[in-house]
Amino acid sequence: MQLLLLLLIPLLAAPLLLVLPAGSRGVRSAALVAPLLQLGWGFWLWGHPPGELSLPWLPRIGLALELGLDGIALPLVLLAALLTAMATLATPVEQPRQRLFFALLLFTNLGLVGAFLARNALLFLIAYELILIPTTLLVATWGGERRAGAAIRFLTYGALSGVALVAGILALGWLQPGGVDFSYASLAAQPLPLQQQRWVLALLLLAFGLKLPVVPLHGWQPLTYSQAPTPVAMLLSGAVSKLGAYGLLCFGVGFLPEAWAAWSPWLAALGAFSALYGALNAVVQLEMRRLVAYSSLGHMGMLLLALAAATPVSLQGVVAQMLAHGLIIALLFCLVGLIERKTGTSAIPELSGLLNPQRGLPFTMGLMLLALLAAAGVPGLAGFVAELLVFEGSWVAFPWPTLLCLLASGLTAVYAIRLFNRVGFGRLDNARADWVSTTWLERTPALVLTALVLLAGLWPAALTGFSEGATGPLALRSSDAVSVIAAAPTHITELPA
Amino acid sequence: MASILDTAAAAGAFNTLLAAVDAAGLRAALEGPGPFTVFAPVDDAFAALPPGTVQTLVDNPPQLARILKYHVLAGAYSREQLVAEPAWTSLEGAPIPIRRSDPFEVKNATVVNADLLCDNGVVHVINRVILPG
Amino acid sequence: MTTSLASERTTAPLIPPSTHPYAEVIHRLEAGGSMLPDTPENLQQIIGIYKAYAVPMDFYWRDLLYIAERVFLNPLPAFKYFLPQEYLDLPNSYAGDQAKLRIWRGGEKAHPELLAFMERGETGRMPRLLHHLWHDRVNMEFAEACMQAMFWHQGMGGRFNDYLESEAYRANADRAIRAYFQGNPLMLGLYRLFPEMFLEQVKRLSYTANLGLFWEVMAPVFFEMSDIYDEGGFQGVPDAMDFLVNGIFAVAGRPIYHHVYVGDTCYEIIPKSAGFTWLYEAALPYVEAVFYRTSPFRGTRSYNAQAHQVPADQADFHYGILYADVFPVGSAGIPPTLLMQDMLHFLPPYLKDLYKQHKRGEEDELIQLGISFQRSMYNVTSAVIQALRGALLYPLDDTDPEHLLANRRFFEAQMDRFLRPEARLSDIQSQDYR
Repeated sequence: MQLLLLLLIPLLAAPLLLVLPAGSRGVRSAALVAPLLQLGWGFWLWGHPPGELSLPWLPRIGLALELGLDGIALPLVLLAALLTAMATLATPVEQPRQRLFFALLLFTNLGLVGAFLARNALLFLIAYELILIPTTLLVATWGGERRAGAAIRFLTYGALSGVALVAGILALGWLQPGGVDFSYASLAAQPLPLQQQRWVLALLLLAFGLKLPVVPLHGWQPLTYSQAPTPVAMLLSGAVSKLGAYGLLCFGVGFLPEAWAAWSPWLAALGAFSALYGALNAVVQLEMRRLVAYSSLGHMGMLLLALAAATPVSLQGVVAQMLAHGLIIALLFCLVGLIERKTGTSAIPELSGLLNPQRGLPFTMGLMLLALLAAAGVPGLAGFVAELLVFEGSWVAFPWPTLLCLLASGLTAVYAIRLFNRVGFGRLDNARADWVSTTWLERTPALVLTALVLLAGLWPAALTGFSEGATGPLALRSSDAVSVIAAAPTHITELPA
Repeated sequence: MASILDTAAAAGAFNTLLAAVDAAGLRAALEGPGPFTVFAPVDDAFAALPPGTVQTLVDNPPQLARILKYHVLAGAYSREQLVAEPAWTSLEGAPIPIRRSDPFEVKNATVVNADLLCDNGVVHVINRVILPG
Repeated sequence: MTTSLASERTTAPLIPPSTHPYAEVIHRLEAGGSMLPDTPENLQQIIGIYKAYAVPMDFYWRDLLYIAERVFLNPLPAFKYFLPQEYLDLPNSYAGDQAKLRIWRGGEKAHPELLAFMERGETGRMPRLLHHLWHDRVNMEFAEACMQAMFWHQGMGGRFNDYLESEAYRANADRAIRAYFQGNPLMLGLYRLFPEMFLEQVKRLSYTANLGLFWEVMAPVFFEMSDIYDEGGFQGVPDAMDFLVNGIFAVAGRPIYHHVYVGDTCYEIIPKSAGFTWLYEAALPYVEAVFYRTSPFRGTRSYNAQAHQVPADQADFHYGILYADVFPVGSAGIPPTLLMQDMLHFLPPYLKDLYKQHKRGEEDELIQLGISFQRSMYNVTSAVIQALRGALLYPLDDTDPEHLLANRRFFEAQMDRFLRPEARLSDIQSQDYR
């Protein structure tokens, strides 16, 4: 029941928002209540771990309301709740059709939290599919100039991902030797024969690869991220895309371990390729949102690498990277959105001198520098901890892809500095620079996220502490299995496994 | 014939100029044998200068002398000789352009009475104080 | 030459309209106006800025003279901005009852607002050294940068620069240097080894004196303009410009000199008898060097000389306030920012109120006042252009078409300098440029 509450909060709050009197001024604040409650409740559950909930729903097809909260799901639930709250705060006060907007955000939150909490594959499937509807509507209704095209593309890719997931999960459940069973416990306990695992894994890779996304399945991502309204871009990149990584970790590494291990060199290579592809594309982007989108793509590649390596350290890195990247990317989109709102553009060539203390956006640009440094993995910020774990954990399994990812990580600094140099420095045009400075209300979400990025950097246990117990058993390789090259450092075995 | 300064004094329309020549300590020089060509601004020309202009100059003889020297050429030149050249170098050092021959215009001043011959030079009466630059 | 610049032409024009891109401005100048449009707000902005500029200027000229006359070649001039009482009380030659020419009211000693600021600054009462180190003071660096610009661009009309190359100057400087370093074998030895280096420093100091003497006049002029405005005296921007034109003529003959005091002995490096005047040897070079040219300031923007981003010809330099992008970048060592910071302390209340109503209000006052400063300097430049026209050309109400055409050519040639895209002349035509 305690777990159900996490779902009930958005489920009940969303319709309530819709029936608030039109034009009511408190819609924003009301919309903020649900994710904050969720966040608070999540933290309480962290201190008081609840038991798993299992209620039959449609036993005939294997659907049951099975919920659980382990060390991987808990931080992701908190992340989803936090980002929903920040997305709400980052929504402009003058947002048209607020009630519907916030209700859809809450439905997205419901799907996210549901998927993270689910301990039944069918339930996960339902939650996963649920997300597509509100997010598509959000992009299509409140998006930028090319929102229609973006929404259609997002929907198409999302639907493809959904279909693949339906096929994959049904196959997974139906092929169970003990009869149709979708509960995670059974799926983990009785792995399928290798040949069947391969087929299912192929479907799931398609489904989650589209969601992450991973090159070459990323076609929807830059366009959607650049057209989505800022709060939606924050939520999509920060939380929804993590569902792909979570799915791969849970289903791929967890339920299909043999097939995963067999394909992992290819997946690692794909991850490295994604990372490089994303970073190189980010370097040449002329639009800030697209730059951030490609940056995200690059970091998703690193996630895939760590998932492929599947050593205890790398899996811890996966969770840490999901959280760190979730915070950083949401912060970046939040700041880009602020700049766009003030200056009316996010085109890099049109902007310059925003650091100008008098007429620029010095506060926003200052945080932007911090966020970019965090994305580049500078020590003392969240990105460093996560990337360190990813690289250390993956190195023993796949040194070459890891090196390529390190290179991509270096490129992060290139596009970060390039963006900052073009947009932050230089001459601010008087004719253009006619906007009011940011208010504290507008700065709040960015400030909260920045504080967390800093906190996670200075106190890495915030990123890894939750998940140590949960990721360990999933590991397919030992961190000290010097499986590939003899030269691989062995001292990393001392890290917590 | 009288000297340049005597001619000017007799004319009666050059009181400011004569006072300025005294203040600048140029009297002795202008009474010398010369010969000189002097472009003599009438009193009205000085009066047209904004208030304080003349006073500041009179208070500072070297600066006044410099302005006055700009109105003087070494050698005696008639109107006819002057208009043959585009510009003449003044005693101050800066050139005095001859802009028109008819009406006879020296820099931005108009010569209202040309070729007053004196013992030690020629006087051309101008309607405006001319300034170097 | 006439003082009635504002007399509008009422009869049919004797010459056809100008086809210059700035034809509108040229016609306004020909009608006795300023480059700055005549609006009540422009008048308010420029007069308010003259006031805010005059107070630090009262410090600048005193300190420049102090540096040129007393600090002189001090090899470690750490305290050159610490103005002694003697120079704070130095009577202004053109203000106060002792002045020979008394057209401008105002006291002879340092302005009370300046003294109050020097006492407390932005921070509070503390020893002068701490005010200095905390940079809570008048930014003399700006004044020295202006001097540097004049020194560097050199020959911009007048005879000043030629004199610095003369034997007479060399001899005078030599006397002063020997007297200044008397009993200092180290410096005298260095002087013997590197005489040109010392001479170069003296030339620099001569320009310092030059600028000090120039501003000594401008400070009371600007104070007077502020007072007249407060009394309701100016009807429009052309009135303010005419006042400046008359001021330029009134002190045109003011001597420019460089005296050095060693103990009680005065060494005349440039004697008054050299005949240098305020108009030719100070004002015109100043306007050219500071308003038009200056140099590409480090920090406001990066320039690459190899990529021809800096003109090869110094005369084409265009980094002065008339071309400036007045966004201060806030880092150290940028003279225009320093001046804005100085003026910020002395803004009259009506300008503070005006800035509050526009753009970011108090947050970007520095930029708003910088743009007001730009407007006011376009007005000063207009006064200089009209004064030159008055001195070298013909009255605006002349009836000879050839004279009017000569005036037209002069105005057009002046406006040609604002054809380059950096010029702000077209910006200041609109009140929206803030």
